[in-house]
Amino acid sequence: MDAFETSVEATIARWFAIEPPNAAGKRLAAELAATISAFEALRGSLVFEDEPSSFEAALQATKEGA
Amino acid sequence: MAGLADITLIEAADMVATGKATSLDLLRACWANLDAVNPHVNAVIWQEREQAETAAKAADEAVRSKQRLGPLHGVPMAHKDMYYQAGKLSTCGSALRKDFRPAVTATVIERLSAAGAYTFAGLNMAEFAQNPTGHNKTFGNCHNPWNLPYVTGGSSSGSGASVAARFNFMALGSDTGGSIRLPASACGVTGLKPTQTRVSRYGVMPLSFSHDNVGPLARTARDCARVLTVIAGHDPLDPTSAREPVPRYESAMDGDLRGVRIGVPINVFLDGADEPVVAAIEAALLVLTGRGATVTRLELPLMDAVAAYGGIVSRVEAAPIHAEWMRSDPQAYGAHISARMYPGYAIPAAYYVQALSRRGPVLKAFAAEVFSKVDVLVTPTIRTCLPTLEETDIDHGPPGTEHKFMALSANTRPFNYLGLPAISVPCGFDPNGCPIGLQIAGRPFGEGRILQVAGAYQADTRWHWQRPPILAAAA
Repeated sequence: MDAFETSVEATIARWFAIEPPNAAGKRLAAELAATISAFEALRGSLVFEDEPSSFEAALQATKEGA
Repeated sequence: MAGLADITLIEAADMVATGKATSLDLLRACWANLDAVNPHVNAVIWQEREQAETAAKAADEAVRSKQRLGPLHGVPMAHKDMYYQAGKLSTCGSALRKDFRPAVTATVIERLSAAGAYTFAGLNMAEFAQNPTGHNKTFGNCHNPWNLPYVTGGSSSGSGASVAARFNFMALGSDTGGSIRLPASACGVTGLKPTQTRVSRYGVMPLSFSHDNVGPLARTARDCARVLTVIAGHDPLDPTSAREPVPRYESAMDGDLRGVRIGVPINVFLDGADEPVVAAIEAALLVLTGRGATVTRLELPLMDAVAAYGGIVSRVEAAPIHAEWMRSDPQAYGAHISARMYPGYAIPAAYYVQALSRRGPVLKAFAAEVFSKVDVLVTPTIRTCLPTLEETDIDHGPPGTEHKFMALSANTRPFNYLGLPAISVPCGFDPNGCPIGLQIAGRPFGEGRILQVAGAYQADTRWHWQRPPILAAAA
């Protein structure tokens, strides 16, 4: 087990007292590295003038016929 | 041979209202198919036949006594087993809730009842609505009526299979990442995920409050339009439900697509697509252009952001709901359910808040670029030929099975983060005899538009009328 997996499992155990339920759970927890990479790739690439803003307002602003 | 259970929801309601058939006739026709085929497909997990018969007779008496009838009068229904009815079983597909009897009734059930429909059974589903395949450790896997070893799609597995196998004229499903559209596609029926906030979720088992949607699976787009008109609209019991007016969705389904601009994404949605699926989509586009629509191939913006942000919202929101059970009884879940929930506990709150706070701006930027060019988007609902239950069985399969499992919902998940309405209609069959689905997505509150396109497509095609061969074999 690498350091990342160990830290993910330790974090979940410390904050929630939940242990890995099975081997697939361990594998999917390790894949959080890909989630981090996806967020890293977006850093600095998106600039929104109205961030944060309401999703419900965006639904209204972009709706059919608006 | 086709029978009374093969007609559409609207035809069923019309036949009862005009006295051409009784509600009891409809119910018994559904039961005949259910008795013959459910032992093979396992779409229905509980029934209330006595109560249903009483409801059918009351509906028939209302017709005889010329009472005012609702738009779904006398139509028997069964729904995904997560729509609460006070005092009745609602298992949510899990051993953890196998005896759960809620104290409240879902607003959508109240609205269907007010329109004259009644419920006769509970339908199989993924545990807590959390898989795209139809696996279920507690109630048994749901099997595709077209080819039993193949997945039904999920999580509304029993909803798709029961409508396909003619147990049911319409079933409610729920859609958090594709759970209405996937079983609609895999089972060869029509399934509509409305705009986020369009339909009340009061009394419906929660999975992810930002992404959960309620909607119908039925024979046709017109059936879905009838149901949406009944169930949509603001509900004081669900403050997140929109106050947007509800049109009569059937009225815009005139079959005329002149002036409708169809967009076909050239990125993401066809990556790794199987040839029979691509061919079916191209054939469907010809049908739509034959009705007057124009087609534009375009690159969709912000897909990396949609995938990254959308990919964590459901996982994080499911985590606190299940934390107590994940601590006290994790083995009560199927391994694939607990395995997929487990990483959600490690995703930082700052990531989650970023994903939610950017949802509005991402939608606005996406809509500005895409809907200035096209009115609807057309994609395969599922990119590949259907896999088997065995090929996607994380609980018993080798490492890596989870990737095949998750690939099923790759084309449906983006529209949950964006909150857009989307419908899946049958558009062909793969070499294994399993249905292929065409996904049509539109602008927020543009259900009328996507129903118009879907209805026009079904006016010129017969895919939605095809019957699974098992019906004839079991008769």
